[in-house]
Amino acid sequence: MAEGSDSLTRVGLIEPRGHTREIIAGAIAIMGTLGVGSLIFLSQGVDPLSAYFRMLQGIFGSPSDIRSYLTEITPLLVIGLGLAISFKARLWNIGAEGQFVGGALVGGVVAINLADAPGYLGIPLSLVAGVAGGAAAGWLVGILKARWDVNEVITSLLLNFIIAFAYNYSIRQPFQDPATYVPESAPVPEHLELPEFPSIEVHIGFVIGLILIPLVWHVLANTRFGFRVRMIGENRSAAHALGVRDRRMIVQILSLSGALAGLAGAIQILGVQHRLVEGISPGYGFTAIIVAVIGSLTPVGVLIGASLVAALTVGGEALQRFEEIPAAIIDVLNALLIVFAIVARRFVRNE
Amino acid sequence: MNWTAVFGPDAWVPLLNGGVRLAMPIALAASGLAYVQRAGLLNLSVDGVMMMGALGSFLGAYATGSPWIGIAAGIAAGMLISMSEALLVVTLRLPQVVSGIALFILGHGLAVFLYRMIFGVTSSPPTIDGLGVVSIPVLSSIPWIGPVLFAQNPVVYLGLALAVVVWWLLEKTTVGLAARASGELPRALYASGGSVAATRWLAFAISGAMAGLAGAILVVTELKIFGPNLTAGRGWIALALVIFARWKPLWVVAGALLFGVIDSFQLRIQSASGGISSEVPYEFFQALPYLVTILAMWLSAARADRSYWPTALGDPYRKEDQHS
Repeated sequence: MAEGSDSLTRVGLIEPRGHTREIIAGAIAIMGTLGVGSLIFLSQGVDPLSAYFRMLQGIFGSPSDIRSYLTEITPLLVIGLGLAISFKARLWNIGAEGQFVGGALVGGVVAINLADAPGYLGIPLSLVAGVAGGAAAGWLVGILKARWDVNEVITSLLLNFIIAFAYNYSIRQPFQDPATYVPESAPVPEHLELPEFPSIEVHIGFVIGLILIPLVWHVLANTRFGFRVRMIGENRSAAHALGVRDRRMIVQILSLSGALAGLAGAIQILGVQHRLVEGISPGYGFTAIIVAVIGSLTPVGVLIGASLVAALTVGGEALQRFEEIPAAIIDVLNALLIVFAIVARRFVRNE
Repeated sequence: MNWTAVFGPDAWVPLLNGGVRLAMPIALAASGLAYVQRAGLLNLSVDGVMMMGALGSFLGAYATGSPWIGIAAGIAAGMLISMSEALLVVTLRLPQVVSGIALFILGHGLAVFLYRMIFGVTSSPPTIDGLGVVSIPVLSSIPWIGPVLFAQNPVVYLGLALAVVVWWLLEKTTVGLAARASGELPRALYASGGSVAATRWLAFAISGAMAGLAGAILVVTELKIFGPNLTAGRGWIALALVIFARWKPLWVVAGALLFGVIDSFQLRIQSASGGISSEVPYEFFQALPYLVTILAMWLSAARADRSYWPTALGDPYRKEDQHS
């Protein structure tokens, strides 16, 4: 809606004048979130300092805590990178949740059926299948937007539900493991589970995410594709007038965004869950929106955003174990983080 | 599976009666959205606003025992979160898409968090007394139409009346004229002495009240409990419906009735299918309302006529632009 007329800088997402203000805005957002969080803790009779200490302890307290922290960063990072690309083109893909689940489903089903394949073949094939699953969902949003101008915000969101139902059916009927009585698939063959690093036992999906950061940065900053992404985001009709095939770009960008969410889904199955289970995502696709926005749509920013949000998640879970604070506080703190981030940026830029 | 329970001759009246009932939350949210979008505001947070309305109504009804006080509390909670969006996009002129999505996430997160804070984790969820059916004498005994339309929850009658009020306000009053000007050519509204900001704040208040009521109705008439994701994306369906109905409040209600019937249909299939071990792919029918919504958006876009779009939809308005 309201396409193309105002530039990204006016929209308030991309800061052209260096990183300092970005960092100030980020710091304000974090302090604001922690401040409101403190008020919530006080209202529950919990000392904020000890609550935040508990959270830190939950993140860094032991090697296994650090492992679950890095594991939690992975899907947010990978999905967030894809969202950053599409948001940069002002294509508001909020269907990453469904694309993640779609990637998990397709990637998982391929892995389960590749028991005879050696790991060096079966793992990449399964991950590619996950990429394809997510990309297909993104493609559908893209083609509807490009060909018929159907609003991508609504279609991508509604697809989340459709894919979730397809996933639920798949683990309840065709791929249900007869060895159990619950809706879940057979396990992924053991040799197709993502390898872990010996000492810290983090699966290699985390490294895939780290490798994607410079890759996405390079694509956005140095390639013609990246240049066109930015042109469409700045002003679609001007990009069109300058010969950018904007419709084809829209399909490609949304497919790419879906592909990364699908990759994250397949990584989650092969690296963490090891089978298709109910409730595969605690809302990674939505949380990754927060990650991309607080990361100012830059790859490094996405890493910082994912680290922050994952810290809130892992810390929040620790909080529930030790204090009488429900884990739902995670969602509130995350949501406050995105609200404070856009408000802080507005003020830091507007001096 | 017992298909006559879904398609048999006795099934039609309950199907349509349920359809009207299930249409109300979407109809209310969508007619509020028609108003706010005609005023130039996307208001993508509506599903989160519905969640807060649902929570407010649950708490109000739980604390007082009165579903009607619950409904009032739901409206108030919806207005509160909707006004926060007004603060972000009208007063601070923040980007509407990101602000809307942020408040959508906040509405869901805050509602579930407050619920868990108050009730903790319980083995069986606390319930409230809901509203029952009130049959209108004489009218409800009209064959076919009577049991479908006039043997309903009182909230259904209230909801239909409110949808007409929103239509009247938007299309027939000077307040509505100002709202439409704010969505088409805000400069003209300013030039004629109106306040774009006040008009847009009011639009958010109306939309918030309607979406809060929509969430409240879900709780006090349908579910009688509270839980995460209880809106099931109805706010987003309402957003699609507004585009499909070309921002006309009364057409929005007609469209919502269609979705209500589809929803009623899938619920009946689900309950007739025999549950988790059933080979009937009832998930397909669960997905039906969302599939139909996407299809409807595609169809309405395919006969594209952009002239129906509020011209200034999604644009921030700043007075300084007058003088530049």
